[in-house]
Amino acid sequence: MKPGEKLFAYVVATIFIVFLVAPVVWLLSTSFKGQLDIFAKPPILIGDFTLENYREVLTDRRFMGSFLNSVIISSLTVVFSMLLALPAAYGLSRLRSPAKIPLLSWVLLVRAAPGMIYVIPYFMVFNEVGLIDTRVGLVLINTVFTAPLAIWILISFFDGIPYEIEEAARVDGATRFQAFTKVAIPMAAPGIASAAILVFIFSWNEFLFALTMTRFEAKTAAIAILNYMGYEGTEWGKIAAAGILILLPVAIFAIGIRKYFVQTAAGGVKG
Amino acid sequence: MTLILPTFLTLVAITVLPILITFGISLFYIKLTSTAGPVFIGLENYFELFTDDRFLNSLVVTVELIFIPVALQIVIGLLLAMILKEKLPGMGWMRIAFLLPAVIPPAVSGLVWKLFIVPGAGGLTYGASLFGMNLSLDLLSMPSSALAVVIATSVWVGTPFVALLMLSALESIGEEQYEAARIDGANWFQRHWYISIPEMLPVVVTVTVFRILEALAIFPIIFVLTGGGPAGSTEPINYYAYVNGFEYLRVDYAATIIFFFFVAMMGATAPFLINIARREGREARS
Repeated sequence: MKPGEKLFAYVVATIFIVFLVAPVVWLLSTSFKGQLDIFAKPPILIGDFTLENYREVLTDRRFMGSFLNSVIISSLTVVFSMLLALPAAYGLSRLRSPAKIPLLSWVLLVRAAPGMIYVIPYFMVFNEVGLIDTRVGLVLINTVFTAPLAIWILISFFDGIPYEIEEAARVDGATRFQAFTKVAIPMAAPGIASAAILVFIFSWNEFLFALTMTRFEAKTAAIAILNYMGYEGTEWGKIAAAGILILLPVAIFAIGIRKYFVQTAAGGVKG
Repeated sequence: MTLILPTFLTLVAITVLPILITFGISLFYIKLTSTAGPVFIGLENYFELFTDDRFLNSLVVTVELIFIPVALQIVIGLLLAMILKEKLPGMGWMRIAFLLPAVIPPAVSGLVWKLFIVPGAGGLTYGASLFGMNLSLDLLSMPSSALAVVIATSVWVGTPFVALLMLSALESIGEEQYEAARIDGANWFQRHWYISIPEMLPVVVTVTVFRILEALAIFPIIFVLTGGGPAGSTEPINYYAYVNGFEYLRVDYAATIIFFFFVAMMGATAPFLINIARREGREARS
């Protein structure tokens, strides 16, 4: 690059990074500010450092109950989603049949459907069978939405495992199922881990289902944080602290699998 | 085949059935608050759609909220990918920073932006004060600026991820072509315009299709930031369906709206999705 081009690159990068980071920095700084500093006029970036907001959020039973719900619901969603997706993805990867392309298309179409189209029937059925405001109900509908994503991610990992290795195992007397569990699954372990993390992140961040299918008991953290936005005024200090607490686990996960993150999260963008 | 059959039957039951049920619901008159059962009314709900001004407005908003943010995401994302590819000193950590908006829970993203633009006390006012400006506008109170905030948030959430995707596509292009172009005197921008963009066209198309499908996933952001207002200026079609189903308890009409949208979106994107599936099917060895 010529010096002029480099200058252009740095200017664009700087502008974008400021745009990207400024709101998050403001959230972080607000989470450490006292009530007075939050509404200081003119606004200040750094006030008197306090952990009061975090203390209040961490001792708020209702919010922490929802946080626990998020942990439980997301973990169970990972389990169910993987139980459905692993055999399906493996089978699809190894399938030699004209049905393959229609099946693959179907997985993508189901994944692309707007979430709201699932919400209405699930809401009505859940209403009848008493699954509204239960963790089980939310795990079910989250699984519906994440399983196709997991299938799509896992297929390409299974594609990457040479079939000859499984054939060798079968020559040695392994059944098809053993070839799947003893050979393919261990070899696809990194892919399975990143698919599982992605399902977890999706479920953790999920909003529409949690909003419509829960009331009090099964509320997740992403919904419970809105409680701090009341009629009598928004408690920005608590929102900021709670926001940091909610985004921390998923941010750590994403950095942990960043090698695979883009590849897997894209779910089908290969070009 | 025996391995996939049970899971696939389960998957069909939990994914295809709900879509069919949604269509079914849209053909009835249903009142959740009364004990009377549903009444079959055929396509009447669909006729109502096109005399419903609020629905027609939500269509316009949907188009705005899909095309403007996605176009910005793709153009800025490509530009950022070209810059990141150069591996200029000091830019390595940008790749990690870029992961952040993609994983922040959307509800929190909405709150982050709401906090950032709080009139008089937000980061935006603070940023303006650094330049000696005194800014205390309520951006969410006016239709055009509220829409602009939603678009900005959508760009904020989506662009870094697009950039990372474009970057990985860019890095798979052979260096020789760029070398040859450099020797011929092409500048940095020309090299990308004549080499990268044509090479990456399939990726660009695919990313665009996925971003279009994801564009209305900013539902939580709209819910937190504007609630669809002011005056419906930020109310896209899926939000209007939500309002009908869960605020007005008109489940049948909500089903009609969302099924209409589903068919329109699938009609527009299914050929691309099937193409992607075909490519995946070819790549897989069996």
